Amino acid sequence: MAELRGSHGDQPNHILTRWFGTPDLHKLEVYSSKAGGYTALRKALVDMAPADITNEVKTSGLRGRGGAGFATGVKWGFINRDAPGPKYVVINADESEPGTSKDRYILENSPHLLVEGILIAAYAVGANQAWVYIRGEYDEPYRMLHEAIEEARAKGYVGPKPLGKDYPLDIRLYRGHGAYICGEETALLESLEGKRAQPRSRPPFPAVKGAWGRPTLLNNVETLCTVPWIVNNGGAAYAKLGTEKSPGTRLMSVSGNVRNPGVYEVELGQTFRHVIMELAGGPPEGRRVKVFWPGGSSAPVLPESMLDTHTDMEALAAARSMGGSGGVIVMDDSHCVVRAAHRLLKFYAHESCGKCTPCRIGQDWAVRTYERILAGEGSQVELDILQRVSDGLQNGRCLCGLGDSGGWVIDSTLRHFRDEYEDHALRHECNVGKVMASA
Amino acid sequence: MNSPRTKSVPRESAGTPLNTALSAHVLDEIKELPAKYPQPRSAVMPALDLAQEELGHLTPEAMTEVAEALQLDPGYVEGVATFYSLFHLEPVGRHRFYVCTNLSCMLRGANEIVDHVKRSIGVERADQVSADGLFSFEEVECLGACEFAPMMRLDHRFHYDLTAERIDALIAQRRSSLPPLTPALSPEGEREIAKPKRETAKPKGEREAATPKKVTAERPRAPRKKKAADG
Repeated sequence: MAELRGSHGDQPNHILTRWFGTPDLHKLEVYSSKAGGYTALRKALVDMAPADITNEVKTSGLRGRGGAGFATGVKWGFINRDAPGPKYVVINADESEPGTSKDRYILENSPHLLVEGILIAAYAVGANQAWVYIRGEYDEPYRMLHEAIEEARAKGYVGPKPLGKDYPLDIRLYRGHGAYICGEETALLESLEGKRAQPRSRPPFPAVKGAWGRPTLLNNVETLCTVPWIVNNGGAAYAKLGTEKSPGTRLMSVSGNVRNPGVYEVELGQTFRHVIMELAGGPPEGRRVKVFWPGGSSAPVLPESMLDTHTDMEALAAARSMGGSGGVIVMDDSHCVVRAAHRLLKFYAHESCGKCTPCRIGQDWAVRTYERILAGEGSQVELDILQRVSDGLQNGRCLCGLGDSGGWVIDSTLRHFRDEYEDHALRHECNVGKVMASA
Repeated sequence: MNSPRTKSVPRESAGTPLNTALSAHVLDEIKELPAKYPQPRSAVMPALDLAQEELGHLTPEAMTEVAEALQLDPGYVEGVATFYSLFHLEPVGRHRFYVCTNLSCMLRGANEIVDHVKRSIGVERADQVSADGLFSFEEVECLGACEFAPMMRLDHRFHYDLTAERIDALIAQRRSSLPPLTPALSPEGEREIAKPKRETAKPKGEREAATPKKVTAERPRAPRKKKAADG
């Protein structure tokens, strides 16, 4: 197994990573005996009614950790438990937001945590079968999760009568095949159904008509991994952590130009200065933080002057950004913002599924504009085009957020680093010291 | 313009010797897949996985066979295969470097790693295969192991903290011997070991067929006067 870079219960407020680093934690026996594993499942199945579980999650105030930050308990409440016919829980393990590695971190360290969370969620919403959609490149996490499910099956936790309860529970795995868009919930469902992963228009929402046309609860890996703690300790205890509207802790994968990149469990409300400068050790010797993406590449950038922004979702919204996936990408002053934005737009252009015109055309248009600027062929016209394309990508013009995401990269880098864009486009030079070709 | 996620399917010209038939046991395995899902259509990607594992890449004929086995339209199967980047429509090396060049890795030298890989295996583009048929490479988007940047995926494993020396060692290891591959993954994980089937399944002359082809759908790029450098 790979070296553990990040939190491992080294702080008292660590919930998710409390037992990470325990040798063989991925084995059921160790997870149960050393980490108190499956006590929450027992409590949920034996002592609690399904509605009580959902209520505890509502009380906790837990918000989805995939990107949108929707209230988890409310989402669970959308599933009509008494509707006849099959219902599903689908787990989004298609982690592919640039700069985000937290779900992999969980799966490689404690796959049983996810298994336990899934089983509790399925029981709470009245589903008997759960499908984990895991990205195809995650070979090791897939193997570990597969083994964990089989161990849980052998133990009877997954099966016709888990812990003696007459309530069949099953977990199945489905591999993705390399498409960022599958992180979007309705595209993921299309993919799970064996189709090209293009988002659906909503309504109907997955809670009503999801996987294979059935009511479906869709949650992110980290979200479900938080559930066992909430069941064990109560929603009120969880709500005491973090801020009022963004309670609890979340995993932040800090990457890029920092001395100690890693996946850190952070109590929401801490500042990014704490996360970047203390936990991740700050930029390399002699360098300064120039800019950071606070929640994956789709979260609008913040400059060094905003390092004291707090990590809770409200503070980030006030800073015109978002908590997103918790992937914190840090770039120091030896790198060029325009080139970084160009790289990200190439990503969004490549990953656009092609369904909505603004995204299909706009992202590619932006890439070509960046290429002209970076080739020293820019002018005010190019800057105007970027702004126009950025506007065209945003504000719900597309079925999903992928279009907006590209627009936010352009918009936020232009907003905070207009000087650097003008250096490139108008003066054909780069302020990190490299002189561009003159036009 | 095509959808950004639509690749073109190369067609063999008439008279080219084909060796694309999926073996009977693979087809049998594919026919058993639909029963594992609430609706049979979900079997299409796991089925394409099996086909690709046997042939190394998905030929039009293989996609047609998959379609027949699953009672789907061949065009539908092709539509799915062209959408997802882990399905290969061109021959690939036995060992393919999937090097992440997204932002977190780029900031830590991924572009230099890609250059080194290209030089070391002697190929320029993702649709080319090294002369000995062993290697190919591809720049990929974020692989979700950003705390280990720069990183890549090779032979069903992630490789971390890449340096030129590490790349050299991985290449040398693969040139000197054929290391045991990590067990392949499948839906529900039934398959045991990914055997180097391609090597044995291909007749003489296949190597030639696997030499680089020109991509027809390559996006026209604005010519760059001078490469802009990032510090």
